[in-house]
Amino acid sequence: MRYLLTCLFALWAFTIIAQNKQVLYGVEEIPQALLLNPGSIVTQKSHYGVPFLSQIHINVGSSGVSAFDIFGESSIDINTRIRNKIFELENTDFFTATQQLELINFGWRGKNNLYYSAGIYQEFDFITYFPRDLAILAWEGNRDYIDYEFDLGEISTTGDFLTVYHFGINKQLTKKLTAGIRAKIYSSMFSYRSTNNRGSFVTRLGDGDVNIYEHTLQDVDVTVETSGYASLRELDGSGEVISNVLGRAFFGGNIGVGVDLGATYTISDKLTASASLIDVGAIFHTKDVETYRATGTYTLDGIELIFPPIEDGEPALPYYSDLEDEIEREVPIDTLNNSYTQFRPIKINASLKYDFGRSMDGGGDCDCRNMGGNVSRNQAVGIQYYGISRPKGMQMAGTLFYYRRFTDFLSAKATYTVDSYSTNNVGLGLFADIGNFNFYIAADNLIKYGNLAKAKSISLQLGFNIIIDEE
Amino acid sequence: MKKTLIIPILVVFAILMLSSCIRDTDFEQADDIALTPVVELDLIYFNLLAADFFDENTSTQILTVRDTTEIRFLDDTEIQESLKRVEFYFKFTNSISREFQVDFQFLNEQNDTTYTTQTNVASGSVTTPVITEFIKNVEGEEILELTQASRVIVSVTIPSSSANLEGELNLQSKTTYYLEF
Repeated sequence: MRYLLTCLFALWAFTIIAQNKQVLYGVEEIPQALLLNPGSIVTQKSHYGVPFLSQIHINVGSSGVSAFDIFGESSIDINTRIRNKIFELENTDFFTATQQLELINFGWRGKNNLYYSAGIYQEFDFITYFPRDLAILAWEGNRDYIDYEFDLGEISTTGDFLTVYHFGINKQLTKKLTAGIRAKIYSSMFSYRSTNNRGSFVTRLGDGDVNIYEHTLQDVDVTVETSGYASLRELDGSGEVISNVLGRAFFGGNIGVGVDLGATYTISDKLTASASLIDVGAIFHTKDVETYRATGTYTLDGIELIFPPIEDGEPALPYYSDLEDEIEREVPIDTLNNSYTQFRPIKINASLKYDFGRSMDGGGDCDCRNMGGNVSRNQAVGIQYYGISRPKGMQMAGTLFYYRRFTDFLSAKATYTVDSYSTNNVGLGLFADIGNFNFYIAADNLIKYGNLAKAKSISLQLGFNIIIDEE
Repeated sequence: MKKTLIIPILVVFAILMLSSCIRDTDFEQADDIALTPVVELDLIYFNLLAADFFDENTSTQILTVRDTTEIRFLDDTEIQESLKRVEFYFKFTNSISREFQVDFQFLNEQNDTTYTTQTNVASGSVTTPVITEFIKNVEGEEILELTQASRVIVSVTIPSSSANLEGELNLQSKTTYYLEF
């Protein structure tokens, strides 16, 4: 238990808003912008991501606690600090981790001026809400909480490990409108979720007739759905588990389908709006599925002795086994193999951008970089919105950004983001084109880089591409 | 801006990224993290009638009645390591006009006695039942003895009984477990 806690809290130290790539969104210089909005403006003729290096994305966050809160040097006892945090956190606080690694990404402009892009990436996504009542029960026990109903419904967690195959089409439909769509096939390697739980545990003083207390599990309905887990149990050693899981990456696991939609609209020569919906889809878990479900209501009073007239040598009454049987009967834990459908967390992006500064293209009428008639300027400011559907509702973030193109080959974007984690998240991205070689790096929570332990969330993206520009 | 500026800018950015660090933290404190829940659970309960201490068929006294129950969680390895202190609370309500002696004998799988405790219950009457409370605190060496046990024998002994003895002896009990993980 102690080690589990240590790992959980220590994670925060090495970390880095969940899945929000606010710095990369809308940056036309990098092909990965198409993954955030399939309808973004594409300026290149083709692109090839450097395999395994075209996008590395890490993000870990917790809404209410940082590693420093727990492990910071302090005269206050660490257990007191943890206890204070448990009581300070709410059941809507959460811990989350996301990691993405692009294996392949490429794109090309075909006939009819359609830009096609395709690729494969692997994704790990985990979120758990803070089960406050259970944490209190584990930390304090029930003695000081007589009559308090510990809410089992606070258990809410999901985890996914999957490979995504995608293919997208992007087209400038009119002078002002560019739209895109991306089809996705998900191959789930491992997945679990436990959401929509209910029930409570309460210890009350007995009414005097039976025993001192009544310990009641009330109206319990707790479910854990797993996919890709049952077959791993029989395996021996982590090596076998890893090779088995990775073997599912290529359509060996449970399959799902999804779609990304997006568009960019040029309102005037200085004002541009864009929006996208990412991962509108579901995974159909049919293979290697195991669901555990506990339901029922039960009150424990202890063990009643009835002092039966037993001769020496006769076995005693099996009170304890009877009690165990009774609990299993009243609150059974069923193992089911029903297929289930899991909706992907939908992400919403939207932005409004105002361009200003000097023209980058010499003011020529024919602008190959941007044929929409919008003259490309070297600076822009704007606002962005990001939302992701999570088990307990949407998590949202708002971003203000400033973008500057220094030269043809170097540009940067700075962001200020307000989200569930903090109100002082500053991010910075640098995008460089050195010849055909494109490099980008973006990170947020820069203010906290002086001491990462104080950051509640950090996200980092970097990658290398080869980009062939329009001639 | 000149192209040559790219390199310095990248370098500065890289330094910023690399210089990020984790300061003023002491992860060795993790060793000090201890969960110390205090859990209260019902233990046993019974209701003995005065008639239970006299066999009407043979007109003989039954001076001691006995029952046994398993308490299998107690000798669990995890509990053995984590249990620091136990407090038993027994509440007897006696409306029989006799004192009682109650023995608790804890046994392990091999039927060896690992821990015992006993108490006396004051006599009462049918009109005015008397409550006797018995609190037994177990810690230190005794905890080791207690957590070897997987069964407990409860023996209730009456000094004398008769056919016309009336009333009942009721027990309610709970245990407070002081744990440390």
